[in-house]
Amino acid sequence: MKTVFVRQDRCVGCRHCEIACAVEHSENKELFQTFSEEKPSHPRIHVESVDNYLSFPNRCRHCDPAPCMQVCPTRALSRDEATGSVLVSYARCIQCSVCAMACPFGIITFQKVRELESDREVNAKCDNCIGRLSEGRIPACVEACKTGALEFGDVNDLIRETRADLTMRLIRSQGQDVEPSSMPENIRAFKAVMETIANL
Amino acid sequence: MSNPSDIRKEAERRALDSSDQEIIAKAIDEGIETAWDRFALQQPQCGFGQLGVCCNNCAMGPCRIDPYGGKPSHGVCGANVDTIVSRNLLDDLSVGAAAHSDHGREVVEVLLETAEGKAEGYQITDEEKLKRVAEEYGITVAGRKPDEIAKELALGMLAEFGSVKNYIQVAERAPDKTKAIWKEFGITPRGIDREIVEALHRIHMGVDADFVNILLHAMRTALADGWGGSMIATECSDILFGTPKPLTSWANLGTLSTDKVNVVLHGHNPLLSEMIVQAAEDPELRKYATEKGAKGINLVGMCCTGNELLMRSGIPIAGNILDQELAIATGAVEAMVVDYQCIFPSIPATAGCYHTKVVTTSTKAKIPGTQYLEFSVETALSTAKEIIKLAIDNYPNRNPDRVRIPGKPMKVMAGFSEEEIRKALGGTYKPLIDAIVAGQIKGVVGIVGCNHPRIKQDYGHVTLAKELIKRDILVVETGCAAIACGKAGLLLPEAADLAGPGLKAVCNLLGIPPVLHMGSCVDNSRILVMASMVAKELGVGIGDLPLGGAAPEWYSQKALPIGTYFVASGVYTVLGIPPKIFGSKNVINLLTEGLKGITNSAFAVEPDPVKSADLLEAEINRKRSDLGI
Repeated sequence: MKTVFVRQDRCVGCRHCEIACAVEHSENKELFQTFSEEKPSHPRIHVESVDNYLSFPNRCRHCDPAPCMQVCPTRALSRDEATGSVLVSYARCIQCSVCAMACPFGIITFQKVRELESDREVNAKCDNCIGRLSEGRIPACVEACKTGALEFGDVNDLIRETRADLTMRLIRSQGQDVEPSSMPENIRAFKAVMETIANL
Repeated sequence: MSNPSDIRKEAERRALDSSDQEIIAKAIDEGIETAWDRFALQQPQCGFGQLGVCCNNCAMGPCRIDPYGGKPSHGVCGANVDTIVSRNLLDDLSVGAAAHSDHGREVVEVLLETAEGKAEGYQITDEEKLKRVAEEYGITVAGRKPDEIAKELALGMLAEFGSVKNYIQVAERAPDKTKAIWKEFGITPRGIDREIVEALHRIHMGVDADFVNILLHAMRTALADGWGGSMIATECSDILFGTPKPLTSWANLGTLSTDKVNVVLHGHNPLLSEMIVQAAEDPELRKYATEKGAKGINLVGMCCTGNELLMRSGIPIAGNILDQELAIATGAVEAMVVDYQCIFPSIPATAGCYHTKVVTTSTKAKIPGTQYLEFSVETALSTAKEIIKLAIDNYPNRNPDRVRIPGKPMKVMAGFSEEEIRKALGGTYKPLIDAIVAGQIKGVVGIVGCNHPRIKQDYGHVTLAKELIKRDILVVETGCAAIACGKAGLLLPEAADLAGPGLKAVCNLLGIPPVLHMGSCVDNSRILVMASMVAKELGVGIGDLPLGGAAPEWYSQKALPIGTYFVASGVYTVLGIPPKIFGSKNVINLLTEGLKGITNSAFAVEPDPVKSADLLEAEINRKRSDLGI
């Protein structure tokens, strides 16, 4: 199973993924035109922050089974079996927002979409960049991320990386209280300063 | 937010001072947007920018480096993280040095025009200082008229900005040992504009890529500011408007008046605001104010224009940078007059919620939505009168139902120029040195800089100052830091009760506060001159003295040259907000460790003011022990 894996500690809050997402879902798919389109495209990934320095790129997990799919009364949500993506049929969406109530991650937002003629705001959640996936490309948010906070790949491979990293640190620490961090020391120092400020 | 207890809690989170809290609560209640709201809306802020690893210099970019050590590790041009981080730092620092120094240039220009008889309302006030500085420039003073001396001095100072002389006269005031270090490492400033222009050249793609070389030039550019542009700003302002002498006045938003025409003078340059002080004394305008129903004209300062006026004329000071929107939100301000630097572009929008008129005055700093009355030296006093009249005309528009002025202003003692501190000590620094040698005073720390919405307003300044004086460390302050401590009651001789026994005894003997207000941010040059005189008296360099610097709440690019000329002069400096350098281990190591081998000082980053005091005290003790005391 392929997924977008989030490594929160690597997110620097640049929101580049948000911009790339909005551009990808716009009509022209071009930065300078995206924001002047009739129904401007908005990000479907959301970078939220805590304590003014920690951030988390929150994106649809394309759950299986997906709570949003299960509760949708009009079957507006469906699964693309080839990629595992949960997709929305905008025409079927009745704006009841029950999907958003069921979503454990709070990632659903209602927006006007250019695919509909009317101005109804419908569930415009992440579509996993299914068009790009069919062309063998990775999702736009992952491509935009330059810190490795978002990675696309086989879920077990990505978990294995985390596991290997943890194993290495556990062994290197040799029972000391503080295990060696995989984070560069200057970045750790920066985060420590920001933590101090947040706790003043 | 509508629940009063939530509003109060938020106000307490944002600011330390109770009068600030009161108006913050009013602003929240009335839906007035302030910097704190905009800061929250900006979260999360881009980590590439905060770490300094984003390069937006040329059109091949913007480029950014993966701070976790992966790809991309270089910009399109091939610049690595050290080059990008150091270049960005030099860029920000040069902006700050330019701001101080261009301010300085304007004061020299007015000195020249005053000497030539072209300036309306200006005169040479401190002839003694004029002569003293002129002599440093090798200008004959005996038997000459002040105007003649001033003209020659002003022309000599304007030459400091160019690139022909290759040295800056006022920088010669530094002790020989300090100057020798500058010479050895090639960082002696050659000309004020020259260093800034060369910095911009080096930042261009494909010029300087060596982070050490870039940072050395940053030090030279900073020195050209502190020992050049800023120092010239201080000296010429003193010559024109008088060297500050100790005086008492008032601080906080409570300085606004319920029944007088309130005019807030905000910004950095005293040139026009000193004329407004003169204009407000005009009997006709005073009479006009009463005709409009007011009991008089109440001038208050804000930020460094406020500090300049407080130091020389005892004009009360309403607040520091985060108070600019709050002053308007009292509903009691008829006019806010601004020159430049640290003026929120949002000010006209805030003013639009009340009757306040915002008046811009500098051709360099226009803000849409304000009334523009251009300052020019030939018509300065007339313009000042026009501004006062505009404020008086606006008084009847004040809506008393929307006015709230917080309780009582805090008394402050200010006006501690270097000359006056020396005078208070009996003419030389010997008594101060004796007190330091005896351990009565352990050392001196300069607390400077701004407010930052990341830190509770004034908390960093006030907590650090209290910690230091408790440890018998004398504190000298400028800028927003001084205003913070003024609001907190630390600029009073009575505050000596909060000091350790040694410092308390010295303060009581001299009748001075344990925290001395030395002026505006360009007046950090006064601290340099004071350090230099003490070092010369002892025959050492500034780096040998038990001194420290701190900028607990800095935000401005101007704080970068200040911190850097402190460090380059030998003063260990602690920053409360991380500079945008944490993306590069090498840059951090050089600035926090490597410099110790050059200037016997370095930077540290520590937001916690108590821990910051620990660092400063340890450094002071290290230098004391190296001096054998």
